[in-house]
Amino acid sequence: MMVALAHFKEQTLQHLRAPGYLLPTLAMPGLFYFLFEGPDTEVGLVTFLMVSYAMWAILGVAFFQFGVGIAEERATPWERFLRTLPLSAGQRLAGRVLSAGVFAAAAAAIVIVEAHLINPVSVAADRWLPWILALGAGGVVVAVGGIAMGYWASPRAATPVATLAWLLLAYLGGLWATPTELPSWAAEVSPYLPTRLWGEVTWAALQGQATSPRDWLGLLAYAVGFAALALWGYRRDEGASYR
Amino acid sequence: MIELPDDDLGARAVAELRGVHKRYGKVEALRGFDLQIGPGELVALLGPNGAGKTTAVSVLLGQRRPDAGSSRLFGRDPTLPATRRLVGATPQAAGFPDNLTVREVVDFVRVHYPDPAAAPELLGRFGLAELAGRRAGGLSGGQTRRLAVALAFTGRPRLVVLDEPTTGLDVEARRGLWEILRAFVAGGGAVLLTTHYLEEAQALASRVVVLADGQVVAHGSVEDVTTRAGLSGGHARVPAPPGLEEAILRLTGGSS
Repeated sequence: MMVALAHFKEQTLQHLRAPGYLLPTLAMPGLFYFLFEGPDTEVGLVTFLMVSYAMWAILGVAFFQFGVGIAEERATPWERFLRTLPLSAGQRLAGRVLSAGVFAAAAAAIVIVEAHLINPVSVAADRWLPWILALGAGGVVVAVGGIAMGYWASPRAATPVATLAWLLLAYLGGLWATPTELPSWAAEVSPYLPTRLWGEVTWAALQGQATSPRDWLGLLAYAVGFAALALWGYRRDEGASYR
Repeated sequence: MIELPDDDLGARAVAELRGVHKRYGKVEALRGFDLQIGPGELVALLGPNGAGKTTAVSVLLGQRRPDAGSSRLFGRDPTLPATRRLVGATPQAAGFPDNLTVREVVDFVRVHYPDPAAAPELLGRFGLAELAGRRAGGLSGGQTRRLAVALAFTGRPRLVVLDEPTTGLDVEARRGLWEILRAFVAGGGAVLLTTHYLEEAQALASRVVVLADGQVVAHGSVEDVTTRAGLSGGHARVPAPPGLEEAILRLTGGSS
């Protein structure tokens, strides 16, 4: 437990001191929400987009802390040194997940607080828990995607790959504007993307509408696919470095 | 396997590799490698680049599994994290998270051990006290190396494994490390050291193991090894390198 907490602290301090990590996770979602959507008076729209930008913020943590973080650390002397300590892979992972969880919560909270400060957002009291749960569930799916990215992207390619995926998935998933505003070619791809499926279940939870099982099944399929890729990549990496 | 009686090597060995084979694709890094280290012993592992030294170290530390043969630390499986509580190691390449301070790195490593050395004492011993607040990413090569070696001693280990620890250290820092190693061994600690500096092996080692192409080509005291190579044994007493260096060149086919 102490060991996992030490790894949580190590991960958190490292990321807090890295501007290249803080910019896309803690700064940009709030900034873009302001640039594109606020201040505005349309209660429905500003609330909807608060939820969308909170998703985008969590997507950033998933791709930059897991994807870039794992890819860059994988083959470092430090990682090799850690293997000589009385440390299990589970303790290291627990510290990493805990740290990413805190960053994800902070990144989403920044957008939510900002939206309340600058816009007349309104969420029904009984809708808070459902939409936060949907937000978290989708967050887990993209986090697993980030882990898969971490084991497959080379250290040099990780940052460009993560950045491109983060921007494209946000735009095509309909997180920057509403999905109805997407150009027709993008609207055709959008329903198959994990960010759009995540959006559908979260927006439905926000508005108290029934979610379609298709969306949840789609998210589940992504979760299983990402987990398989992550495990495959992890085994491949272990085989190359430590077998 | 037959249980060895208490007074035999099975119980006394701090580290033991038996008949270890390790292959990477077509390359056979180790071909039946044996090694035993007891308390109060400093064993120097010598050999040309690519001889299998680093592979031997990784198998010993449980970072890699042998294809055949066995690896034991204190009689236990080194791939289990708990076994490594009594071991400290410095891998060949040293590097730390750039954004953490030296003190933060030391404190982080201390948490992994049940009875770690106090951070100020450790930093002082390795000449790092003034660098405690410095970011690890801003350290010089020599400072990085000193921190890497200090971390090997963090958990008050009974075995320290150092893979080319003095590469990049200036003469003063190297001599300083030698003093620390001598004191550690005198107090009953065991050390496995890989090195290219033969002077280092001659100055420190109670035993030398020479590795070439994944096999032991000579082992014993510095005198034994120089004698076996057909050199006059007297050379070994001379502090200057030629005795052992010449022996290793002959034993490993001149490619050192």
